[in-house]
Amino acid sequence: MLAYIARRVLATIPVMLIVAFFVFSLLYLAPGDPAAVIAGDQATPQDVERIRASLGLDRPFVVRFTEWLWRIVQGDLGVSIFTNLPVSHMIAQRIEPTTSLMLITIVLAICIAVPMGVVAAWKAGSWIDRAVMAFAVFGFSVPVFVTGYVLAYIFALQLDWLPVQGYTPLSEGFWPFLENLILPAIALGSIYIALIARITRATMLEVLAQDYIRTAKAKGLGSRGILFLHALKNAAVPISTVIGIGIALLIGGAVVTESVFAIPGLGRLTVDAILRRDYPVIQGVVLLFSFVYVLVNLAIDLLYTVFDPRIRY
Amino acid sequence: MSPDTAVAAAPAAVDVFPAEVQRGRVRTFIRRHPTIALGGFLLILMVVLAVFAPFLGTSDPQALAPARRVRPPSDVHWFGTDMLGRDVYSRVIYGARVSLIVGLSVAILASAAGLFIGLVSGFIRVVDGVIMRIMDGLMSIPSILLAIALMALTRGSVQNVIIAITVAEIPRVSRLVRGVVLSLREQPYVEAAIAAGTTTPRIIWRHILPNTLAPLTVQATYIAASAMITEAILSFIGAGTPPIIPSWGNVMAEGRALWQVAPYIVFFPAVFLSITVLAVNLLGDGLRDALDPRLAKRI
Repeated sequence: MLAYIARRVLATIPVMLIVAFFVFSLLYLAPGDPAAVIAGDQATPQDVERIRASLGLDRPFVVRFTEWLWRIVQGDLGVSIFTNLPVSHMIAQRIEPTTSLMLITIVLAICIAVPMGVVAAWKAGSWIDRAVMAFAVFGFSVPVFVTGYVLAYIFALQLDWLPVQGYTPLSEGFWPFLENLILPAIALGSIYIALIARITRATMLEVLAQDYIRTAKAKGLGSRGILFLHALKNAAVPISTVIGIGIALLIGGAVVTESVFAIPGLGRLTVDAILRRDYPVIQGVVLLFSFVYVLVNLAIDLLYTVFDPRIRY
Repeated sequence: MSPDTAVAAAPAAVDVFPAEVQRGRVRTFIRRHPTIALGGFLLILMVVLAVFAPFLGTSDPQALAPARRVRPPSDVHWFGTDMLGRDVYSRVIYGARVSLIVGLSVAILASAAGLFIGLVSGFIRVVDGVIMRIMDGLMSIPSILLAIALMALTRGSVQNVIIAITVAEIPRVSRLVRGVVLSLREQPYVEAAIAAGTTTPRIIWRHILPNTLAPLTVQATYIAASAMITEAILSFIGAGTPPIIPSWGNVMAEGRALWQVAPYIVFFPAVFLSITVLAVNLLGDGLRDALDPRLAKRI
């Protein structure tokens, strides 16, 4: 078991290296002089020169990559071209809202989606099932900013129940903090809920057709016991896999959600960085998100043994 | 009855009959595949809007009219006007072109590239490990972020948007095709073909390729749907098509600052985008049920 965990953790290192290599080399795959590309159209020759020096373009690619990688390993993500602040510092300033939004969305989505999928599978073919499936198709199709604006229009502008936009840090009280994140979390979570509900329903349908479920029924177990004790536990592996993979959707969606609801998080940082062509910041954010994504999926992989003791490594 | 009338009547009778059958077939098709029918209908509607945009009561989507800024919907401007006085209805109808072109191009390009990489990876074991590690790495970068990173480096244009989204979608297709190839290679008929001395290109062409087409088509529709959403997101955050091109994401981005006073600027492109993506998703679900019953049962 320990050997497996060690092997699995080590296996993420080459993946992270490849991610780092991509993020680094993207800049050089683009046609033209990277320094000029970053500097943009209105740059003076001095700007281009300064950027070229900061990128170290006069040295070979491999040397630059290894140096860059070595700094990243030490936690140095470079310096923003626009603000001249360390990228790690800028990320640290913006990380709280994004983390809060993502965590609330994940918790909310799991609490809504899993029961939805379970009930849909239990009542397969009924109107509840069809409603859940219809919701799933809509959840996939309506983009996050559309859900965001519709929710904000109804619940903030018309009904005035929740704030339209903005963010309050957790340190200023739990309710003001939560109040600002409810609508963004629902908007961001809708596609995630659709995804989890759908896979939960599919897996549960498969599990409910198993012999041991019939046995459980035959020995007189109530349906709640069967569903949550026997069935859901056996369906947990595919469901948690999708929860992990779906985080990629959340990361992409967070960038938009933060724009819609004016949340000063990493998504906003990314959008600002795009408009300013601040490539070190974009590199830093992409690296960080990818790293989190890989780690979350690693954690879920390791959780499999908890859900399913048959899986032994 | 003269022979003349008999001859004249005969073709008419033949004509009526197939029409009945035809109508019956359409009805049967709709009943059997309601999602394909509904998705296809909505999608065709959007294509018609996009193709015939100049003839649908639109004006120049770029025409500025500072005097008529931010007008609510009326009979002159069906969807109102934006902050520069441009007609939102015209911009939304023309916007269908961008979305559909991006969706279709990305679906085709990503499928073709993914098919090629997947076939190579599934057949040439030496490169399989390397290719799949690269794909794992690419897949670890959330696709929207990858597209954002690519777009941050290039000038905003429809072509660059297509390339950026395609690159982000390729790993998933490659993995899918590789999986299909690996399972097909174990099939007795492929083993038989190998034993009979069939060359590898011929095996790929005759036995592998036809079997990858069904899952690939289904995947391609989902890719088209997600590409349209990604394009809108990129344009919305200012990393997509240049503002001069009226895409749904751009129209929404322009309406963003005003959405509390003029929600219709954001609302109409949002509805069109949602309907189009819904249509493609319905089509994908229907195709999956029709083409790949095994997969349909699992998901």
